[in-house]
Amino acid sequence: MIFRRSAGWAFPVVLLLAAVPRAGAEDPYLAARLAMVEEQIAGEGVVDSRVLTAMREVPRHRFVPAEYRHLAYIPRPLPIGEGQTISQPYIVGFMTEILRLRDTDRVLEVGTGSGYQAAIAAKIAAEVYSVEIFEVLADRSRRTLDELKFPNVVTKQGDGYYGWEEKAPFDAIIVTCAGGHVPPPLLRQLKPGGRMIMPVGGPFMTQNLVFLEKHADGSLSQKNVLPVAFVRLLGH
Amino acid sequence: MSSPSHSYGFSATDPRPSSVLPAVFLVSAAAIADEIFLIRLLSVRFWPHFVPLILSQAMLGFGASGIAIHLLREPIGRSPGRVFPWLVLLAAPAFDLAFRASLLVPFDPYILLWDPFAWLPFALFFLLLSVPFFLVGSAVGLPLSFRIGNPGVVYGASFAGSAAGALIALPALSLLPTESLLKGATALGFAGALFVVPRARGGISVSRAAAAAASLALILLPAPDLRLSPYKDLAVAGRLPGARMLGVRAGPSGDFRALSAPGLHIAPGLSFRFDGEIPSQAALFADGEFRGVIPQGGGADPPRYLSWFPSSLPYRLAARPEVLQLSLRGTEGILEAAANGASSLTVVEPAGEAAALLGNLRSFSGDPPASLRLSIREEGARNYLARGEGRFDIVEIHGVSSSTFSSVGIHAAGEAFLLTREGIGAALSGTKPDGMLAVSGWLKSPARESVKILRTLREEMEGMGLRPVPERVLMVRGWGSFTIVAKRIPLTPAEREAADRFCAETGFEVVWPPARGRSEEPGERALAAAVQAALIGGAEKEGALFDLRPATDDSPYFYRFLRLGAIGEFRRSLGSQWVPFLEWGVLFLLISLAVSSAVAAVLLLPPVLFGGGKGGRPPVSLAGYFSALGFGYMLVELTFLKTGILLLGDPVGAASAAIGGFSFCSGAGSMLSGRIGGDEAMRRWIFPGIAILSAGGYLFLSIAAPRILPLPAGVRVALFLAAMAPAGFLMGIPFPAGLSRLSAAGSRAIPFAWGVNGFCSVAGASLAAAGALWFGLRGTLLAGSLLYLLAGALFRRLGEGQQI
Repeated sequence: MIFRRSAGWAFPVVLLLAAVPRAGAEDPYLAARLAMVEEQIAGEGVVDSRVLTAMREVPRHRFVPAEYRHLAYIPRPLPIGEGQTISQPYIVGFMTEILRLRDTDRVLEVGTGSGYQAAIAAKIAAEVYSVEIFEVLADRSRRTLDELKFPNVVTKQGDGYYGWEEKAPFDAIIVTCAGGHVPPPLLRQLKPGGRMIMPVGGPFMTQNLVFLEKHADGSLSQKNVLPVAFVRLLGH
Repeated sequence: MSSPSHSYGFSATDPRPSSVLPAVFLVSAAAIADEIFLIRLLSVRFWPHFVPLILSQAMLGFGASGIAIHLLREPIGRSPGRVFPWLVLLAAPAFDLAFRASLLVPFDPYILLWDPFAWLPFALFFLLLSVPFFLVGSAVGLPLSFRIGNPGVVYGASFAGSAAGALIALPALSLLPTESLLKGATALGFAGALFVVPRARGGISVSRAAAAAASLALILLPAPDLRLSPYKDLAVAGRLPGARMLGVRAGPSGDFRALSAPGLHIAPGLSFRFDGEIPSQAALFADGEFRGVIPQGGGADPPRYLSWFPSSLPYRLAARPEVLQLSLRGTEGILEAAANGASSLTVVEPAGEAAALLGNLRSFSGDPPASLRLSIREEGARNYLARGEGRFDIVEIHGVSSSTFSSVGIHAAGEAFLLTREGIGAALSGTKPDGMLAVSGWLKSPARESVKILRTLREEMEGMGLRPVPERVLMVRGWGSFTIVAKRIPLTPAEREAADRFCAETGFEVVWPPARGRSEEPGERALAAAVQAALIGGAEKEGALFDLRPATDDSPYFYRFLRLGAIGEFRRSLGSQWVPFLEWGVLFLLISLAVSSAVAAVLLLPPVLFGGGKGGRPPVSLAGYFSALGFGYMLVELTFLKTGILLLGDPVGAASAAIGGFSFCSGAGSMLSGRIGGDEAMRRWIFPGIAILSAGGYLFLSIAAPRILPLPAGVRVALFLAAMAPAGFLMGIPFPAGLSRLSAAGSRAIPFAWGVNGFCSVAGASLAAAGALWFGLRGTLLAGSLLYLLAGALFRRLGEGQQI
């Protein structure tokens, strides 16, 4: 009798103990990611619940090189190779929120990079088309997105300056690599009523984040929304 | 060259004691050349503003050498003749080997900003680079410490070698590919090594010969790949598909490269209403940083997009203008002038390498537009403007936000003499009576450069009697860039209407004069308010984040926006976004000073406080004397160097003249110190003479600058050298005079004195740069002069109470 009672006690304990390492093994960074959303995203003023949910769900550390995984959830950009970086979490959240994505939207992303921004956008929008000029990054991001099962993200390697004409027009365009100007082909591929966000500027460290809206009549309005730090990519 | 008074510790198998002087001369030359070459190599690998931090830590090797000799005095003292040649033999290959080893360290300054663990490989990085300086410092310090020869003559040989190294390095920057520069330093070291191979009794030492041969072998090895930081503009562009290097031209002004790639689409500030095509481009890089654009085949038919920038504004206000551009930015500036209807264009560019490289790229860029009378002048902008050779409808200063706009190079810390009040005034004076000065740059948020330019214009124009200033200024902004136009006469209604039409067409906005309706955007309102305050005047807003006071020739640091007291406010206002807004160039300079001081304190204080090794416990007055000399020398020398950047128009030329001139003159003073450096002479006229002559020489240059600037280059160099030579000569006397006093007292603290002087010289370079930023050149020079007076007060106490 006593033994049976003892055995009864043991089972939930063992299950619990077995469950804990398994949960840790599945997502050892869950706590860090939740803290990131709490402190760096919601805590810095991003309020769109869809963005917050997406950033809780998408494992940012999977998009970061192994040697920097321990830094994946700190408020800093991190190197991903080819002289490029994955943007700091707040910027990803901010840029996604300001685009006001809808679940029917077709989104163009210029500069796939790690694929993280595309993954966040894909959680909200219908389709994401992403272009990356560096083959190494294009291949790596494609693999990561496939492993994490993002079927609504379509990527290609190419010069994002020219957008993706075959898939145009787009409801939203997000440019993740800083450029010195707004590429005219991208403006042509933006739908009336569409939104575009892009970091622009000359200096290495400090850029303006420019938000553009294309009105129904085809005219554009623009405003600088936030100064950020982006690695400048000369190709865009 | 005098013979040593005795052959202390040199045996028959050691080199002759007479080999010491030529060896010291040559390794000192190699060390200065190494310093100059490393500045170029590190600027290309990383960014110019990181270089002072890296190099100052590496040169702490000089100071460490003195401490090492102090601590190892006894074992070295048993046979200094055996140790000395090996210091020379190891120094020779160290210049190259240390750099090659540093390439293997996984270090990138960019990561320092984000990852504190990155500071560990950084420490290893500069430790490796410090090795050759440690060895050279030891090779020079050893004969001083063990009285091998007259200290004044030995120190003079080191100075003379430094002068020679500075003069040799300058042409080497043109003659050698950047990747191979260190072969020059190795060659100088090898030459020094040859003097220590033979034995005193005849024949050669096989082991020493083999070591010397190793240096020769290094010279013959292929140069290493520089391994640019992956974030450098050139590195990123080089990885674009189809990237192709079109040409390379290296010289004293920099390492210039042109690269084309299909993925290059550079049009900074282009109106988003432009709905055309941008042609294929090549990019021009200076030390790996983006410098300008070369549109393909644009010569025959300038591309249309070149009329869709805010910088196109002045061309809409003048018909067929005669234009002066005060820098060469690829061929884009030339094509922009042609596309906008200019009748003639004069481009002033001090970097002849850039102009030469562009001349070699005609097969890509095409010939200059036939419709444009083009002249490219290779000289400094202030020199050209001072000569007043012509007056122009438009004088353009473009790209004021560019990282390559300010001076970079040897001990340059971002001096921008064109953007001081005097420089802006000179540029405005270069316009015709109804001409205009146009200044363009990136519009940052919060606004900085634009507001500072406006404040500078207001102060200078009011000083010139051009009032009211607000009626003479126009400012236009794009989505990310600005152009300011200033005239000596008020803008006409027709000109204002032309600006309005230009903005209506391009989607740009007129910021000044202000439009009737007020924008609701906070950023727009903030910009408008800042512009108004800058033009109309008023007290600077208390608690403002940035220092927007105009720069002057005495403090030519236009890009110093940082208020140290505002760092906390950045953190509070911007939260996690504060990092990009700090001026990391300034902060790295201060970090460099702090680290140098900390390292010096760690290594210097224990012997003073507790006594170190058998060298005894050096008194505080000794440390104070040689510290004052170390700091004072650098404060004076670098003040003259920075003044030379203005007068000579070229940072590297100014550095060569200053370092070479001071080293030569101080070397002469050092060699004669034994004859003129007696106690009475030191007290009565050496130290006061240094203070008076350094201040007098600097004041002469600064007051006479407007008359010196327009003179031919050779005359300017001669006047510059003449102004610094008297002080430079006397500044070579106190150090050997101090050593002689210590030697006469039987002091064993000479190596410690060498170490103190070495540390403080290195820290002094950072202190001089920081001092100039906050106290101006005059204040920095004054501090240096006062330090020599302090040294004078401590001189008499040298040797008192020394342990024997």
